[in-house]
Amino acid sequence: MTNHWTDLQNADVIMIIGSNAAVNHTVSLRWVRKALDAGAKLISVDPRFTRTSTQADVYAPLRSGTDIAFIGAIINYALTRDRIQREYVVAYTNAGFLLDPQYAFDDGLFGEMKNGAYTREHWRFQRDANGAIRTDPTLEHPDSVYQRLKRHYARYDFETVSRVTGTPVEKLREVAELFTSTHRPDKSGTVMYAMGITQSSHGTQNIRALSILQLLMGNIGMAGGGINALRGMPNVQGSTDHALLFHILPGYLRAPTAEDQSLEAYLARSAPTTADPLSANWLSNYPKYMVSLLKAFWGDAATPGNEFAYHYLPKVSGDCSHISLFEAMGRGEIKGLLVFGQNPAVGGPNATREHAALDRLDWLVVSDLWETETAAYWKRPGADPSKIATEVFLLPAAASVEKEGSLTNSGRWGQWRYQAIEPPGAAKSDLWILDRIYQSLKALYRQEGGAALPGPVVDLAWNCGAGDALDPQLVAREINGQFLVDRAVGDQSFRKGDQVPAFGLLQSDGSTSSGNWLFCGSYTNAGNLMARRRRSTPQDDPIALHASWAWCWPVNRRILYNRASCDPAGRPWAPHKAAVAYDWAQGKWTGDVPDGPWPPLRLPTGELNPTGRRAFIMLADGQACLFAPGLADGPFPEHYEPVESPVRNILSSQHRSPAVKLWHPQEVGDAADYPIIGTTIRVAEHFQSGGMTRNMPWLVELVPDNYVLISRELASLKRIQNGDRVRLKTIRGAIEVYAVVIHRLKPFRLGGRTVHEVCVPYHFGFMGLSQGAIANTLTPHVGDANTMIPEYKAFLCDLERVEGGAP
Amino acid sequence: MSRAVLFDSTLCIGCRGCQVACKEENRNPAEVTKFFAAPGGYQNPPALSATTFTLVTYHELENAWGDPKWAFVRRQCMHCLDAACVANCPVSAMQKAEDGTVFYEQAKCIGCGTCVSVCPFGVPVLELREPGPRVWKCTFCQDRVSHATVPDVLNEGRSTPDVLDQPKKARHLAARRAPACVAACPTGALKHGDRDALLAEARGRIQQHPERYVSHIYGETEAGGTAWLYLAAVPFGDIGLPTRFEHLPDAPHESATFGAWPPHMLGLGALVGSWCWYARRRERVAAAEPSDAEERAPCSPPT
Repeated sequence: MTNHWTDLQNADVIMIIGSNAAVNHTVSLRWVRKALDAGAKLISVDPRFTRTSTQADVYAPLRSGTDIAFIGAIINYALTRDRIQREYVVAYTNAGFLLDPQYAFDDGLFGEMKNGAYTREHWRFQRDANGAIRTDPTLEHPDSVYQRLKRHYARYDFETVSRVTGTPVEKLREVAELFTSTHRPDKSGTVMYAMGITQSSHGTQNIRALSILQLLMGNIGMAGGGINALRGMPNVQGSTDHALLFHILPGYLRAPTAEDQSLEAYLARSAPTTADPLSANWLSNYPKYMVSLLKAFWGDAATPGNEFAYHYLPKVSGDCSHISLFEAMGRGEIKGLLVFGQNPAVGGPNATREHAALDRLDWLVVSDLWETETAAYWKRPGADPSKIATEVFLLPAAASVEKEGSLTNSGRWGQWRYQAIEPPGAAKSDLWILDRIYQSLKALYRQEGGAALPGPVVDLAWNCGAGDALDPQLVAREINGQFLVDRAVGDQSFRKGDQVPAFGLLQSDGSTSSGNWLFCGSYTNAGNLMARRRRSTPQDDPIALHASWAWCWPVNRRILYNRASCDPAGRPWAPHKAAVAYDWAQGKWTGDVPDGPWPPLRLPTGELNPTGRRAFIMLADGQACLFAPGLADGPFPEHYEPVESPVRNILSSQHRSPAVKLWHPQEVGDAADYPIIGTTIRVAEHFQSGGMTRNMPWLVELVPDNYVLISRELASLKRIQNGDRVRLKTIRGAIEVYAVVIHRLKPFRLGGRTVHEVCVPYHFGFMGLSQGAIANTLTPHVGDANTMIPEYKAFLCDLERVEGGAP
Repeated sequence: MSRAVLFDSTLCIGCRGCQVACKEENRNPAEVTKFFAAPGGYQNPPALSATTFTLVTYHELENAWGDPKWAFVRRQCMHCLDAACVANCPVSAMQKAEDGTVFYEQAKCIGCGTCVSVCPFGVPVLELREPGPRVWKCTFCQDRVSHATVPDVLNEGRSTPDVLDQPKKARHLAARRAPACVAACPTGALKHGDRDALLAEARGRIQQHPERYVSHIYGETEAGGTAWLYLAAVPFGDIGLPTRFEHLPDAPHESATFGAWPPHMLGLGALVGSWCWYARRRERVAAAEPSDAEERAPCSPPT
């Protein structure tokens, strides 16, 4: 989230798209309701009318996988009616940047491609002799980003988009009018989204489209604005912050690749540069964060002489995301697998293929509360355990309430929690389990010398205690970072062992450590700030920042990009809910922790302030990206059909995203055989792959079996009654579930055609108290062009009634 | 003060947190359920039972233009002001407490089932078992509410910069002073308090948002008035609530359940007394019944 949960109450309009928040983020509705009670309006966009829709002022149906068309229609409406916050757009975005005149978009393609990837040759700006970007603040220049954006979305009129998304034209207009009402400077609108738009072959571009819309409305940085990802688990934000992904290091630093042959080369490729003296270009501090991270990893073994042990880091080659790993496993290239807090046998796409991949492992370690489907894949229905040679270890893990530690919520709040009860039986915390694995590995490397390079393992700085004295507080202290020598920074002096108070004080010379620069400031000499629990009152905190409740990265800033909530002279666009404001008399910002200490870009007189800085400090040029040249599949979001789609793309002749990799072209279903759209959904009563909830009797009681939601129209077409058993099949496999016939789901009318969609929960598997068919038997090994997140949300299927099916 | 809960079904998102909180509070085990073809496929268990005192039911509706609507309703003991179960119980096992709770004393219960047959909402469940019969229903969390304390854990100092403070204790106590279902509700669809105050609040909500509610507070007069008060966007009959009470069984002595018990176990005085009360009560209820005209009908059930 750019903002945070309690901030939702500040919105004037809330659009929930690609999320069924009332079901999956139930408590968020508390804050949504507060906004509604104060007069806000709620828009719910979803293929079916959901529990979230019951609270909405406007419900708009849309066909799964067509979000860019939908959002594009709102963008086009805003641009053609001039319902944008022009002053914000000019001041804070790259709308006025002039594009390379050779940049072209033609019939669904953004220029030349080589080996399935764009060359990106002309996705760049015009620069003068000094390297400065040429701009046109009037936004009139035909090469300006603004004019190109306008031209790009001109095709997204309501009538055309309605034929793509299946949303009635009048609903599109209603949504567009309502949401663009937030273009007024004193209004803010927020977007809540989740897996409904990320799990797509163009998921990144779905979110880009929302970002463009929010920038045009001037909603980024505002209280009650922003773009807010509702993360899927209590600590999924923390797990990405701390780099449980292959392509990053903690704090979203880039994972080195084979091209980064030295620390210097790595830093040169990572730290952005700018020719603009008014751009803060915050990431020019990259070397400080990287060196401090290496010092946290390897302590005294990281010295200036060995490039701070940079060569201990593995260099990533290629794509190591979930689908790639399982493909490699299926080819027998991966021999062992450690699985912590995950159940890929249920949660991974193309379950049949992934189960077969597990069959080829030599060993598998699963650490979980229960024997999950992943731990038990070798005894899945239809498998012959005598033919599976994998050695499986099941480690009993402690649940979150049985151990101490931090959870970082969607709003970036690191919240410390205590151990409430002892874990049952032999169950242990993740820290204990990882420590034991590490200590054993280290002993083995010491004894046997190990492979070519034992250093990365034996030299690790392991500052979290040992055995029974393992202490998560020590981990948190290390993540924050410490001064490693006595030294002064500016007019402040620090002693060796002091906690670093903020990442602005981290150093690139090895005199500081920090396990994650974003969390620097979370655990200072004053103590563990994540453990704070002081609430504020509406009187002293009218926009509910709750600055003394837990701790929020970065530097306890609750609203990212908050300087953009003011005009360029530091006056809030919406004074009644100001996130920050600049006090010229005192020469400082008030309100939330501002996005950088610099004064505003302009003086109260309107003149340029040479000591001021641009608002979007994390971008090299300081201006938010309407045009974003960094992605694999285009600088503007463009509608493409999901990889499996029952209809032709009517916006261009490019049917699916050209940058998408198809693992198994023979496994792409044809609409002639599989005419119905399938999508996977969730219920409030079960969590993720059901590993916990399907073993919880009170929850199993509520939703005991898997099912599929079918419209009344499709049910009558297929002669299916509510409660029948039905077989749902794709080119990859078939499952049997109960049919739930509802009228909250309607067929989509696309021009003259009617297209049906069905929705199936993905929580079920063959273990636990309640069992049901694995929905991911149906989903494909297809991922987003940028992130490789699987396309769970749109695939082609067919269904039939099972005669005499099991009751 | 007479306790009451206002359930504003327009704020309910059907999460069933209240249903599970009720199980937890009462240490009620889960039922073994199977999928069944309830509307929307969600409702489970199928009905209130000896281990389920609160049940959320789902109701698919649509408006005049065919747009979908979906309403969620709670079922539990309504804690009637003049409760038929209290008046008809021959042994006073069902009683009305000063705070408004209709409560049950197992020691007195003879398992006659009168409470089951006279309840206009079909709530109490009779379990005939050894050593004695037992009736199950919502307790209005009377015990929880009247003995609310701050657990010791909140009084302990913690090694943090911010030791738990007095307002935190006050908030915790406030949550303990409400029934478990109310404390669990994330959207404020449930509110616990004094009945008169909640009636005033409900009237205020209807007045402020006439477009949102049918102009009626369910429970204000139904069954002679109940401690549970409901607001809804659709007529209460469309979401499965009884709106006419004439189908109530006649005088208790005609109840089939009674036939199963030897007459000497039933005090004759109690019989006569309850029959008289019941006759009077029926007149009062009939007089207070809302006319059909009071309920607007923006929605109709799907055909």
